Amino acid sequence: MAPMQKSAWWGLGTGLAFAIAFTLVFILKGGIATFYADQNFRIIIDSLWIGGLLANLVIVNLALRAGRVDERDKLILDRAPRIQWLAVVFTLVAWTVSLTEVYHDTGLVPAVFLYVIFMSVLVVSTLAQCLGILIGYWRMDRNG
Amino acid sequence: MGSGRIRNNIRRLRFDHGEMTQEELAARAGCTRQTIIALEQGKYVPSIELAFRIARVFGVNVEEVFQYEE
Repeated sequence: MAPMQKSAWWGLGTGLAFAIAFTLVFILKGGIATFYADQNFRIIIDSLWIGGLLANLVIVNLALRAGRVDERDKLILDRAPRIQWLAVVFTLVAWTVSLTEVYHDTGLVPAVFLYVIFMSVLVVSTLAQCLGILIGYWRMDRNG
Repeated sequence: MGSGRIRNNIRRLRFDHGEMTQEELAARAGCTRQTIIALEQGKYVPSIELAFRIARVFGVNVEEVFQYEE
């Protein structure tokens, strides 16, 4: 397995673990209503997503530095944003449609959702980059 | 664009050069072992620069390593 492929698996693993932890804490602590009202809860969530993203960044970069990255790896890395872009667009579409349907009657979407949308897009983008790299290796190994 | 295919003799050249390992070739050509594996399996076409570096490791012209077939 190429060093960058290994780092992508690490990134995907830590990213998924973080995303699950983040979602569980968010739901168990009371969701959007508590998030809006409780400052301590906001600090916990902020720490989780900032810490998680930083940890993911450090792990991926350390793994990349540990091994050589050559032109084939760079080609795969350059193609990964296609998957990232699709994942981000689908996430935004899902948020737009669901929020529009839920808050259609009131015509007002709580401002706190801006924050939640931003966090979710960042998480999805990080995971999708790792996934894009892994798909790139899989396609190249399969089709050349 | 062409419908040709790039073939290579890397496996044979490694054998001819004292059964050079993929790892050694990769280190000397400046790429990863996985790229050498992909090249030998015909699943990756290298850049011109890498093709020249591989040819230089074997001390031959690039055409002796890579051939274009229509």
